[in-house]
Amino acid sequence: MITATVPAATSTDILAVANIPILWILAIGVFGAIILQSVVYMRAARKAGPAADISEAELKTSFRAGAVAAIGPSLAVVLVSVALLTLFGTPAVLVRIGLVGSAATESASASIASGTMGAELGGPDYTQSVFAVAFMAMSLSGAMWMLATLILTPLLRRGDSKLRHVNPALMAIVPAAALIGAFASLGIAELGKTPVHVLTVIVSAVVMGICLLLAKKFSQAWLREWGLGIAILVGLFTAFLAHTSGMAPVA
Amino acid sequence: MSSTDTALSRTAAIDEFDRTTSRWGQITMGSALLLSLAAPLYLVLFADLGVTSGQVWTAFLAVGAAFFVLWIIEPITYFPVLGPAGMYQAFMIGNIANKLLPSALVAQATIGAKTGTKRGEFSALMAICGAAMVHVISMLVFVGLLGTWLVSIVPADVVDVARLYIFPSIIGAVIVQLVVSLKQPRVTVIAVVVAALVLFVLVPAVPALAKPATGIVVLLTAALAWFLRPKTKDVDTTETGSGA
Repeated sequence: MITATVPAATSTDILAVANIPILWILAIGVFGAIILQSVVYMRAARKAGPAADISEAELKTSFRAGAVAAIGPSLAVVLVSVALLTLFGTPAVLVRIGLVGSAATESASASIASGTMGAELGGPDYTQSVFAVAFMAMSLSGAMWMLATLILTPLLRRGDSKLRHVNPALMAIVPAAALIGAFASLGIAELGKTPVHVLTVIVSAVVMGICLLLAKKFSQAWLREWGLGIAILVGLFTAFLAHTSGMAPVA
Repeated sequence: MSSTDTALSRTAAIDEFDRTTSRWGQITMGSALLLSLAAPLYLVLFADLGVTSGQVWTAFLAVGAAFFVLWIIEPITYFPVLGPAGMYQAFMIGNIANKLLPSALVAQATIGAKTGTKRGEFSALMAICGAAMVHVISMLVFVGLLGTWLVSIVPADVVDVARLYIFPSIIGAVIVQLVVSLKQPRVTVIAVVVAALVLFVLVPAVPALAKPATGIVVLLTAALAWFLRPKTKDVDTTETGSGA
């Protein structure tokens, strides 16, 4: 129920459009596709199990082991997702952050897309129409990942020699460079904004650094998974203190 | 009764498994792809937000310039670990490196199955199904229900500040995580220098380049990282390559 009486598009009430029922239905549909896939896969595995030298009990054990191992990482994703709810609304967060993509790639895509509209992600000019464009752009980008998977998997399965023998040095350097290049660019762009932005980026980076350091020193793997969530919380808390204490320019 | 007969029925069973998982993997991933596009498309086309197709394409091209390398390379990188059936799971469920791969490895270790064998593949597949179920439930309950409720009770001014600074509070951590996990100091230095030059020198001089700025940084970083790669590493790869 969007009341498009006055220019609704310039409203910054993102959740009014981001949480409409049809988006919920489509999001639940994506969850349905995953559940259906798992059911079909598990049936197929049980049927062919004896041929693969794996017993039904071992299949069950594997399922349970995978489920238990996923609890920690899943809750870590939950924390990050909740933090992003105000930016994208629940359906978009469920599909984009919770499933297909990740917090890092999707918020990066949204930030780039908002930039092309002359707006800052989450800023005063982050209107409903900017949100719609950002949501569309990150969904298209996510669709390209799935499309590449749909096209490349059959090729790789047939053992396409061209794809399998890509220069290993190229495969080691180019993806790493693309990843670091994209995120370094977005991070440095934040440094050109207000002092609160600068402070928040630094605090977030330092907290993550500490988490990773402690994870390594005391072999606490969970700290690596929860690092992003913790960094976001501490970052936001610092931003809130700095913002309310008047460090931010008056909008 | 002969051993060739059992061997034949075994391959037949495995073939059928491969066919079923591939077909249904493609069907389910295809529908997830369409459903995930339908949501924003609805907003763009029917929500009366005044969005033009030009705005959408500009935004998509800018995002694509930053990520197109990864669209193609990530599936190729994960294929040997995931196998065909797992590919359709992983790129739909997401969070591959931090959730699905560890789950698969734990499951294989629990039943003593080796990666690369059919036993290992089946074990990994079941583990990813288990992980998927836990993830689906925790997302729906903790984000879908609890999260939505939580946001509705948080005071509006806190929500506004959170929205304003959520991106900087993600990006700092993500950069540190990437730099530490990728262990490519040379590439990191190149990326930071290129990004600073593009954003603080090039874009102010040529404002038209502001939109594709991230894409420009990605391409320049990738190209420079490739041409400035350490030559000793090259020797290493050729040596191991010829030795194998």
